[in-house]
Amino acid sequence: MATGQKYYYDEIVRQLVLFSVFWAVVAMAVGVYISAELIWPTIDFGQPWLSFGRLRPLHTNGIIFGFGVSALMATGFYSVQRTSHVPLFAPRLAWFVCYGWQLLILLGGLSLLAGWTSSKEYAELEWPFDIAIAILWVSFGIVFFGTIATRTIKPIYISNWFYGALIIVIAMLHIVNNLAIPVSLTKSYSIYAGAQDAIVQWWYGHNAVGFLLTGGFLGMMYYFLPKHSGRPIWSYKLSVVAFWAFTYSYIWAGPHHLHYSAIPEWVQSLAVVMSLILLAPSWATMVNGVMTVSGAWQKLKTDPALKFIVLSLAFYGLATFEGPMMSIRAVNVVSHFTDWTIGHVHSGALGWNAMITYGTFYFLMPRLVGAELYSVRLANIHFWLALGGTMLYIISMWAAGVSQGLLWLSVDETGELSYSFSDIMASMAPYYALRLVAGLVFLLGTMLMAYNFYMTVRGRATVKMQPPAVDPVYGMTSEDATVGALRVGTLGAST
Amino acid sequence: MNSSLSSLYLFQSVFNPLNSFTRLAGNTPAPGRVLMRFTLWLLLLPPLFSWIGGYLFGWRLGAAEPLMFPAATLTLISAAYFVILVFGFVTTAIISRWMAATYGASDAAGLHFALIGIVGEPLALASAAHLFPDVFFNVLVMIPAMIWSMYLLYTGIPVVLGIPPERGMLMASALVGWLLVAAVSLLGLTMGLWVAGIGPALAV
Repeated sequence: MATGQKYYYDEIVRQLVLFSVFWAVVAMAVGVYISAELIWPTIDFGQPWLSFGRLRPLHTNGIIFGFGVSALMATGFYSVQRTSHVPLFAPRLAWFVCYGWQLLILLGGLSLLAGWTSSKEYAELEWPFDIAIAILWVSFGIVFFGTIATRTIKPIYISNWFYGALIIVIAMLHIVNNLAIPVSLTKSYSIYAGAQDAIVQWWYGHNAVGFLLTGGFLGMMYYFLPKHSGRPIWSYKLSVVAFWAFTYSYIWAGPHHLHYSAIPEWVQSLAVVMSLILLAPSWATMVNGVMTVSGAWQKLKTDPALKFIVLSLAFYGLATFEGPMMSIRAVNVVSHFTDWTIGHVHSGALGWNAMITYGTFYFLMPRLVGAELYSVRLANIHFWLALGGTMLYIISMWAAGVSQGLLWLSVDETGELSYSFSDIMASMAPYYALRLVAGLVFLLGTMLMAYNFYMTVRGRATVKMQPPAVDPVYGMTSEDATVGALRVGTLGAST
Repeated sequence: MNSSLSSLYLFQSVFNPLNSFTRLAGNTPAPGRVLMRFTLWLLLLPPLFSWIGGYLFGWRLGAAEPLMFPAATLTLISAAYFVILVFGFVTTAIISRWMAATYGASDAAGLHFALIGIVGEPLALASAAHLFPDVFFNVLVMIPAMIWSMYLLYTGIPVVLGIPPERGMLMASALVGWLLVAAVSLLGLTMGLWVAGIGPALAV
């Protein structure tokens, strides 16, 4: 599979970044639309494909798999070449992953609009798409690990450990959770039933958050933050300890989504304990990021991208504290099934995932085409829109969620529930209006970024870059190279 | 500086913050003096307004009837509110001082106490909205106050603690991270107290 090319395959990276930005705009626009539907339900115009039930999974899948995974593939491919000092392994397969994934998102999105659904949250796509995801994901893994196997530098940098964990764990979660018996092209039934189905689903659901939206994006942070700030990671040892602690503890936490349900109580308790333990590696990583960037303050004068990364770390700290706290039963009994959960998800999705991705893209795009960013001013405006939108979103959902939790559980002097469900939901409209404004503000910022990138890359070819010479101290020995070649032979045969 | 802390801080710092920050940078008040003569009184406002509003109008969460509480329950809630606010203020000031070494800022404890006090002023004053405890009304009033508080934090740190604006931006962002965590902790703690029986009657 090796082509002998000496240049990095950055054209693939560029395409994936542009696809990621495209899906961000589309999926966020869908999010804004469904938030409007919660205020004005009739704007589905009686069309099933415009109903909340179909558009909501389109929004979540579009963000997670369209925007998020495309960004992770782009940054993973970019960083693994540079940390391995070799071009991508199996570049044709990498192109297949790039375009195959976009086709999957497009057709999968249409299938959701058509009403095909497995009804598993964040895994709604039906079995033909699940098989396609598995094939594309394994291909992604072959390109990634093949590049590491052919590296000319001995150490495997920490970002690659996180990207590697993302690829391995998501493959495992996706395949196990989606085991199903098809009854037609458009419908299948899970092989799990009842409580087992719930446990497997949230083992998948929570670890998709853990290893994709957290672990994958930490890989992004560990490569691009030091590059961006021009400083090494504050404590490399801490990053390695945090990686293993994170990997070990996250996988147990899923059942905290199932408190007060039919699953065994000890499973719920174990999930709470592991969720609380998770705070340590999560914050170790945050501290590592904050301390790394603290020495690069001069760059803030000229570099709008670094601001996004700085703020993303603050929201990462918030989301990784809020999650374990909400797993505690005394909090969960009020917060569960309320809009507080939606606020929590978005403090992570907007504040952490989107902000770190935007900061990374603002760093990446000018370098990929060898030009200055079209407008630093627009990027600065984007920063304030993103921050304002995120804060407004979180605050409105906190207030709505706590009110809902309190109203749902309130009892009168006779022990009867004080308020009806429909009355409570009707009273939420003002908060939903605030959330709609927040979403529009955030979307506007993302559209400004898309325009900025379009103007930056328009008419410009991707810069060709060669791997630098490897310091002999860190270079592969002849013995290492032999083992590497054997690994490549095995991987190459499988493609 | 010591003659009249309140006249220096309160309205001047809200409406003319840069002047206030500059004057503060030239003086280092004692942290205990800031707390006892200024901040503690400011922190009394939100629980006081909350008690009065809850007693007169009840908590209005959007549904048809307000939640009314006996005076004793409201007193417990307000007392807990006050204790948490004081704890939040002191810990934020201490954390700010702890962060100072990382960002090359002044580590005079009094400056951090005074700065965090000023940053919290808009929120304390806006808590007058608690007099009518409709949650959405309070959200609408508190959001602009919070924006002003964040502005005071970002502009105040470089001036008061004597560091470049870019370094101040990093330190302010780190403090925002802490404040977000503190805010959500307040929510979590409140849920815990409610479930433990302090507050509204819940079916848990």
